[in-house]
Amino acid sequence: MKKEKTEELFVKWVDDQLSPEEQVQMDALLAEEPSLEAELYQCRNAADAMRAEIPASVEPPYGDFFNSQLMRKVDHEIASHSRAKKAERWWQSFQWAWAPAGALALVLAFFAGHRVAKPASSGEFAAVPVTGQLQLIDELPTVYFNDDQLKARVIAGADGEVSAIVVDGLTAIRDDFDIVTVSTKEEKLPDSYTRAEATRFR
Amino acid sequence: MNLLKRITSRHLMSPAGDSPDAGAGEPEVPDHQLIKSCQGGDTRAFETLVTRHRGKVYAMVQNMIKNEADAWDLSQVVFLKVWKALPKFEARAKFSTWLYRITHNVVYDWLRKRKIDSAGELDDGLLSEGDIAAGSRTSPSKVARPDIALENSELGDRINAALATLNAEHRETILLREVQGFDYKEIAKVMDCSLGTVMSRLYYARKKLQTLLSDEKGKD
Repeated sequence: MKKEKTEELFVKWVDDQLSPEEQVQMDALLAEEPSLEAELYQCRNAADAMRAEIPASVEPPYGDFFNSQLMRKVDHEIASHSRAKKAERWWQSFQWAWAPAGALALVLAFFAGHRVAKPASSGEFAAVPVTGQLQLIDELPTVYFNDDQLKARVIAGADGEVSAIVVDGLTAIRDDFDIVTVSTKEEKLPDSYTRAEATRFR
Repeated sequence: MNLLKRITSRHLMSPAGDSPDAGAGEPEVPDHQLIKSCQGGDTRAFETLVTRHRGKVYAMVQNMIKNEADAWDLSQVVFLKVWKALPKFEARAKFSTWLYRITHNVVYDWLRKRKIDSAGELDDGLLSEGDIAAGSRTSPSKVARPDIALENSELGDRINAALATLNAEHRETILLREVQGFDYKEIAKVMDCSLGTVMSRLYYARKKLQTLLSDEKGKD
């Protein structure tokens, strides 16, 4: 027989809770080892002694104080719990406003950033022709020049799909303007190359 | 005096399991009704429930940790946990099993914490049989004062002394069975272990207790 099973049988024998089947198994064990019965009787006596000597209930010292202390803690627990609930409810009551407030904040941040980034001078507001009438609008980009004589206009379609920058005040490019010679790159080109190119142009 | 005679006389003198409310004559509100009221936030119902069960909880904790002051504090912790967990308590569960389960957790948390806090220090209360080398002396050899010796000769003290030598699991199992009268399944629920483990612990605890009491008897 397995050790676990014999332990169970011994425990149940002490508690007088053996089933008829288990009683048969136990009788067989006792027949094998007669000294076992005396040992089990001693276990039963020890268990009875425990039941008799150790009380199941012992009032804690100062029982009233025990209760009052405990109830104070319980009241504190209730108060902190209701505070937490209240705070939770307060936050939850504004839950509906989070999405619109967020959207509004985004729009405000966008406009504020745009205004801050715009310089006080240079460039010009854009003009948009809408049914033959020009309108100044803020949304189009600002064009900057290091020459005060230059002015720019940004023209955009009403749908914003098409836009053009018109720069006024630029000097017209002469017909004989030689890009190769005025290029800063030319200085760095080898002489043989320049000569070959000049020959080719001629 | 013969052990059995003592037991019989004790039984006749004071029946075990007397509750503080016993004999009051007033019809008691059943636990499940009090629990329902508690779940609705009735603190007076909770106080009644505490008064009804505090003795059992205190006795169990006291038997487990063998320290009155700490047992008092831990019993408070148990009931505060009960209050917090009551909203989750299901009516189909047995209240006493649930209460002892919380008590079990509180006691074991305390034992664990104490073991950590006193790591490196010698604490006799925490030494279990397995921690002591075989053949080593486990008690001081000096002769006890006559009055203490007389006190120790009492059967209850001898049982308490024997219980103190058991490890926490064995002690709790035997206390739940013999003192609180729980059945095997309830013990398994309280201690969160299998039925086989309960049987094994009960077997070894009884055997050890019987051996220790026989040895003490032999000395008398």
